[in-house]
Amino acid sequence: MKPIRLLPLLAIAAVFATAARAADKELNLYAWSEYIPQTVLDGFTKETGIKVNYETFSSGEEMLAKLLAGGTRYDLIQPPDYVAEALIKNKLLVPLDYKKLPNFKNLLPEFTKMPHDPAQKFTVPYMAGTVGIVVNTEKIKEPVAGYKDLFSARYKDRIVVLDDGRELVVGAFYTQGIGLNDITPATLEKARPILTAWFKNIKLFDSDSPKTALLNGDVDLGLVWSGEAAILWNENKKFHYVLPSEGVHMFVDVLAIPKGSRNQSAAHAFLDYLLRPDVSALISEEFPYTNPNGEARKLLTPEQLANPASYPKTDRKLDTFRHLGTSGALIDELFTDLKNTK
Amino acid sequence: MQALPSTSLTDSPHALRPRVWGWVLLAPMLAWLVLFVLVPMAILLVYSFCTRDDLGRVVFEFTFENYQRVFDPIYLRILGRSIGYAALTTGICLLMGYPVAWFIARQRENVRNWLLLLVMIPFWTSFLIRTYAWMTILKGNGLLSGLLLSAGVIPAPLEILYTPAAAIIGLVYAYLPFMILPIYGSAEKLDNALVEAAHDLGAGPVRAFSEVIVPLTWPGIAAGILLVFVPAIGMFAITDLMGGARVPMIGNVIHNQFIKAGNQPFGAALGIIFTLMFVVAYTLAQRRGRSSHP
Amino acid sequence: MIEIQGVTKRFGEFTAVNDVSLHIKAGEFITLLGPSGCGKTTLLRMLSGFETPDAGLIRIAGEDVTRLAPYRRNVNQVFQSYALFPHMTVRENIGFGLRMQKVAAAESARRIDEVVALVALQGFEDRKPGQLSGGQRQRVALARAIVPRPSVLLLDEPLSALDAKLRGQMQLELKRLQKHLGITFVFVTHDQEEALTMSDRIAVFNHGRLEQLGTTTEIYHQPRTAFVADFIGETNLLPADLIDLTGATARVRLEGGLELNVNAAQWPAGLRRASISIRPEKVHVSKQRVACENVFEARVAVELFQGVLDRLVLEFTGGTRLTAVVANESALLEAIHEGDRVWCGLHADDLVVVRTE
Repeated sequence: MKPIRLLPLLAIAAVFATAARAADKELNLYAWSEYIPQTVLDGFTKETGIKVNYETFSSGEEMLAKLLAGGTRYDLIQPPDYVAEALIKNKLLVPLDYKKLPNFKNLLPEFTKMPHDPAQKFTVPYMAGTVGIVVNTEKIKEPVAGYKDLFSARYKDRIVVLDDGRELVVGAFYTQGIGLNDITPATLEKARPILTAWFKNIKLFDSDSPKTALLNGDVDLGLVWSGEAAILWNENKKFHYVLPSEGVHMFVDVLAIPKGSRNQSAAHAFLDYLLRPDVSALISEEFPYTNPNGEARKLLTPEQLANPASYPKTDRKLDTFRHLGTSGALIDELFTDLKNTK
Repeated sequence: MQALPSTSLTDSPHALRPRVWGWVLLAPMLAWLVLFVLVPMAILLVYSFCTRDDLGRVVFEFTFENYQRVFDPIYLRILGRSIGYAALTTGICLLMGYPVAWFIARQRENVRNWLLLLVMIPFWTSFLIRTYAWMTILKGNGLLSGLLLSAGVIPAPLEILYTPAAAIIGLVYAYLPFMILPIYGSAEKLDNALVEAAHDLGAGPVRAFSEVIVPLTWPGIAAGILLVFVPAIGMFAITDLMGGARVPMIGNVIHNQFIKAGNQPFGAALGIIFTLMFVVAYTLAQRRGRSSHP
Repeated sequence: MIEIQGVTKRFGEFTAVNDVSLHIKAGEFITLLGPSGCGKTTLLRMLSGFETPDAGLIRIAGEDVTRLAPYRRNVNQVFQSYALFPHMTVRENIGFGLRMQKVAAAESARRIDEVVALVALQGFEDRKPGQLSGGQRQRVALARAIVPRPSVLLLDEPLSALDAKLRGQMQLELKRLQKHLGITFVFVTHDQEEALTMSDRIAVFNHGRLEQLGTTTEIYHQPRTAFVADFIGETNLLPADLIDLTGATARVRLEGGLELNVNAAQWPAGLRRASISIRPEKVHVSKQRVACENVFEARVAVELFQGVLDRLVLEFTGGTRLTAVVANESALLEAIHEGDRVWCGLHADDLVVVRTE
């Protein structure tokens, strides 16, 4: 009798054991959509046998909300710098084990110890970029240097901008000499009349693929991510990328291990894999943002390095976003209201 | 005489069985409703009275603030616009869909089935792909503009994509089948002799339509209006893609609270008010419908 | 009242109505009779305006209505399915035509009350058609069609959905109503008994053609074609060859060799072959020899007891068979049974010569 009764227990135990082993061989990755090439993910699985479950989001806030909701136990996340800062402040990240990251040394020093992670304990930069202006020089002959030129009334209905309230508010702040992280009801009220005028000229809001409308010729100017501008430049050299004269926002998307990760060793393995020069160069090929990996840059072609959107030649100081807290809602309300009265 | 009166059936011991079976058959649907409608609604209701911390996490601290904000003129105007777009979409769908549905219903059976298939073919492709296809048609150097330009109908490329008109085109396209199918269902059941009787008694085409055809196909019309209007109010993907995201819809606002503004309690409050409005409007419409057709 | 001249209607390859001409008199009750597919309903639909003739002319009260829309004709129809508006009450259904004619409310109410009384529907005015019995719906349909006072009322098999008993009552009511109103009734049916009961005149149709137009007695007693003779009532149709035509009598030979004397006036001029129609009740059967123009000996091959009547199949020398119907009066009279030898008499006046197609 006894052995028979034991049998189901054994079966259950076996199932658990298999599940545990399967978890060892899986990595739950939560990252931006259209940001990590499939070939890179496949290469990692081929080398290590670890399967990567790639879940995507399309804004840092979306990522934050879903991470905090706690549905899936993510092993590795890809927040933008200011979201990473908030996570660090709230002690929601796991410190990195640099012994497992021999390739960390490949990073350029200016991309380490950044304001969001000054002690360089929690995050590894993935890609960086700027927000700037794309000009179709076939259609626009006058020089466009900054926000004021971009939103001039003569370009009414020929402009695409990011569907992102914070980027536009920051543009208005720059023209008024307000610090880009100084978001209060008072500063927002100062930005309101400027944005009201700008909004009248905007044809289209699109964060996901602003390059499409430019390529189709539906608009001739855009306020876009530098990676989008780099792709446009690769398509056609008539698309020039301009860093706004009033001020430039630079963003860094980082990788970090959230608390609750069940497979930290796989997360480290994947991080180190991404930091390998050959892998990092592969990413640059598909998503031509600014690569923070010095050794990887050496593998890029002169043409890639000459792309003015990926590697702008400037010695100006680039600003970064800081975590806003609840004042993010103020921007959303202003943004909604502006669109509403447009 | 020998047959038992039907009421005695429920008193017999056997009556329990059909009742139990009824519940068993209903169980999957009830479970679905509880899990995916009632429970989420309850969660939204609780959230809507809460506050949040600086990471956007819900903090269980009672407040009415979210509801106060719902009635801010900004959001009321957006709601008004959403209703306007949805009403316009519904109106156009009705005007376009009714003749189509009527025409299909009057065909021979095999022709009818083919035409219905044509109405439903768009559902075979993903909704997003179809929306992008429309963008390709409507864009400045796109299909429609090119055709009209080469035909000499218009002097300059068409500037229709990323305008409210494009959004309405997209909405009408997406929801037209939902208007056609229920009206077809009613029209197909309508006995042609009734239309002939109306004509015979002196009703011209207009009066036969308004006095006989419309009242008799009203269930289909009402269902079509509901099936188009309700989802059109909350729709934001089409207005974003084809309308250029220039004017926010109530769907955008709610969506943004969760994924951009990090303000789930406010999003929840908007969702609750929105749902309440539907329930009230639907109940009123039902009651009116019942009193006019006892 | 109604003139139909050379009207033809085709549906694709099928000719539903083929060159029909018909004159309908004011105030008469005329029935279009024939089997299904004979064209009677199509002709009716051309009178109401739901179909347009491919050729020919239709005039109602002197006006050419060939191409006039149904809602412009002073003609109303009672539909086979009644076609009552389910969303309207009895009163609203009946008042629909008046409303379309923009008759004043008071006048309209008076006329509706009047017609409701006429069809005995008092107390049912506020019901919906779904709450009425078949017979009541029929009356509503009738009331709705007569209240606008049409010059012609068209009835498309209006009684076919009723059970036999109710149908009998409605036949009488319809006839009474028609007399009372004095409106021309054009009635379509495939039921010859119904046609005979109600009509002043009957137009018999077959394959889209008008076979015969006549009063009920003409149609019954003097059918002109084998089809009419066969379709109306029951008859014995006997193909016959002319063998002698002198004086007032024509002598013909049936297929079995039997020879008959018929009235020479009946024989269609120039024809050698025709059919003799004789109704079963006109076949005289007796155990005694009867005095008659045509007397034969026969054997009762089959006897069918049918209550009031006794149906006999007689067989003559040469194999010719005839059906006879005799009154089953009483057992006192000489009873005739299967296998009996009998005498059979056929009066020349009862023998109707009809054309064979």
